[in-house]
Amino acid sequence: MAEITLNNVSKSFGAVTVIDNVSLTVGAGELVVFLGPSGSGKSTLLRMIAGLETIDSGTLTIGGKESQNLAPGQRNVAMVFQNYALYPHMTVRENMAFGLKNIRMPASEIDKRVNDAARILEMDALLDRRPSQLSGGQRQRVAIGRAIVKEPAAFLFDEPLSNLDAALRVRTRVELSELHQRMKSTMIYVTHDQTEAMTLGDRIVILNNCKIEQIGTPMEVYTYPAACFVAGFIGSPAMNFLKVQMSGSGEKAVATLGDGSRVAIPVAVPEAGRYELGIRPEAVRVTDGSGDTTGDARVVEHLGDRTLVYVILKDGTQITAQDTGRSTVAPGDRLALLFDWSHLRVCDELCRDCHVQ
Amino acid sequence: MTPETARRVNLAGAAITTFTVFCAIVWAFPIYWGIVSSLKPEDEVVRPYIELWPDTLTFQHYWFALTQTQIGTWYINSIATAVGVTILTVSTSMFAGYAISQLRFPFRKPLYWLILASFMVPTQVLIVNHFVLMANMGLLNTWAGIILPQLIHPVVIIVYKQFFDQVPKDFREAAVMDNASEFSILLKVYMPMNWGVTTALSIVTFIWSWNAFLWPFLAVTKTEMMTITVGITQVNDAFGVYYARQLSAAVLAGFPVALAYLLFQRRVTQAITLSAGIKG
Repeated sequence: MAEITLNNVSKSFGAVTVIDNVSLTVGAGELVVFLGPSGSGKSTLLRMIAGLETIDSGTLTIGGKESQNLAPGQRNVAMVFQNYALYPHMTVRENMAFGLKNIRMPASEIDKRVNDAARILEMDALLDRRPSQLSGGQRQRVAIGRAIVKEPAAFLFDEPLSNLDAALRVRTRVELSELHQRMKSTMIYVTHDQTEAMTLGDRIVILNNCKIEQIGTPMEVYTYPAACFVAGFIGSPAMNFLKVQMSGSGEKAVATLGDGSRVAIPVAVPEAGRYELGIRPEAVRVTDGSGDTTGDARVVEHLGDRTLVYVILKDGTQITAQDTGRSTVAPGDRLALLFDWSHLRVCDELCRDCHVQ
Repeated sequence: MTPETARRVNLAGAAITTFTVFCAIVWAFPIYWGIVSSLKPEDEVVRPYIELWPDTLTFQHYWFALTQTQIGTWYINSIATAVGVTILTVSTSMFAGYAISQLRFPFRKPLYWLILASFMVPTQVLIVNHFVLMANMGLLNTWAGIILPQLIHPVVIIVYKQFFDQVPKDFREAAVMDNASEFSILLKVYMPMNWGVTTALSIVTFIWSWNAFLWPFLAVTKTEMMTITVGITQVNDAFGVYYARQLSAAVLAGFPVALAYLLFQRRVTQAITLSAGIKG
């Protein structure tokens, strides 16, 4: 395992910048997830580390060795591809051994490594099969096995679970987590699935528009999002953003919602004016009594342990609220909503300045 | 679909089938005529009316072609030159197609355009140059002299390039991450993944080369160096042309190709499909 450091790296395709001056350190043995929407540059950044894309400027060090000019095979990293990229004409054993044969490793050592990896991934019985004879999950294991046998300084995963069905994805996710705990290797994992990011990552790097928006542990980025984008991107369903007019300032600000409701909030704002309040659905409760505001239930989703209620306020503002699993709310019901302001985000109108209360 | 529409569709289908069967008969008739004529005595062949079946069935012309000519040597020459052309054309085209498709080097696109442009130049235009070149190199009347000018088959390069373009780039990237050299990627990953393309192109190239007449006819003057297609012209004597003899030699010349086609019919069709729209 090795530390990976990116220092002011940039990448452009023609006139289009895809990675803009990114700096990042992935600690030895750490599992870091690159998370972001499509086109945010997360896969490109991973491919730059792998050597499959050149780095226009900046430096990359892997295990203390400057690597931005090394060929992919010389960087001592192994990559697991989204589509597995298993060579269809080779057996599982040959697929795993191919990279080792290319560096002229002795056959006995190759056999040992392949057998060890097969044992770790519990696929001893599959070694003489071809990829076409394997299920999606088994192919994914082989792809991981092909990476393991190299004993690399770091593993790079490019959306490895996106081709699996939902149940298999959950199982493989757990297995990957166990594998990381067992091997204690440096891993970088690219995904657009925030559940994968939250469950797998020691830290999450959130990318948007070719830049890093925030780096933090899963709970840090969820609880203390550093930017409006992160606040809106992390969490399912997404955070509610309410446009409000703040009057008063300091500890006793009063926010007027779009529908005219006035609520006192324990927040320090520098001055009166228009703001956006970010509040997560679990902090918006449906109540029988009087609430901070009222609205009509538009859609109700029963998820078993909880119920999501999509509410529309008088002025048309949409709010997602969360109720208990046994909620009796039905579409069309008039509801009172109570806000829990303890984890509130306040953004100025243009979302330039965001801070968590 | 109403019964009326179904009947109309059936009628249209029957008409199309009848037309294609008619075309197939028109197309196949000369072959049938050639084979039947080769089984007739010479005096029956020159009768001025059409006889679809010989009055007297004879194999004497085949016996003559097999025993009184150098057909064995011509077969060997044809096999040697066609196999040589096939191996060299397919292997060089494979490397060229891979390079143009997968590698990035200066003047890659102009090189590709040049290969595309070479379609515009018919072989016949180059034949004098080829002849002078081979003569200067002292390669007339040799296998090498027959083979070398036949190695120019841009269509094989283009088919390979198109094929390599279609291979998902993940395979190449996985191989690059696996420390594979370009030779390894081509020979151990790309080629084994699709032997079908190579097999199909090899068969078609072999058939082209086996059937080649113009260049081997010019490049060889010695009977013992002739390929079978050129050798056919030698099945006559001082008293004139014997049609049945020549036809029997032609049937013998075409037999291996027909056999190869029957055995590898699907592969040949695949190769023709792959090169469809390219070989104008």
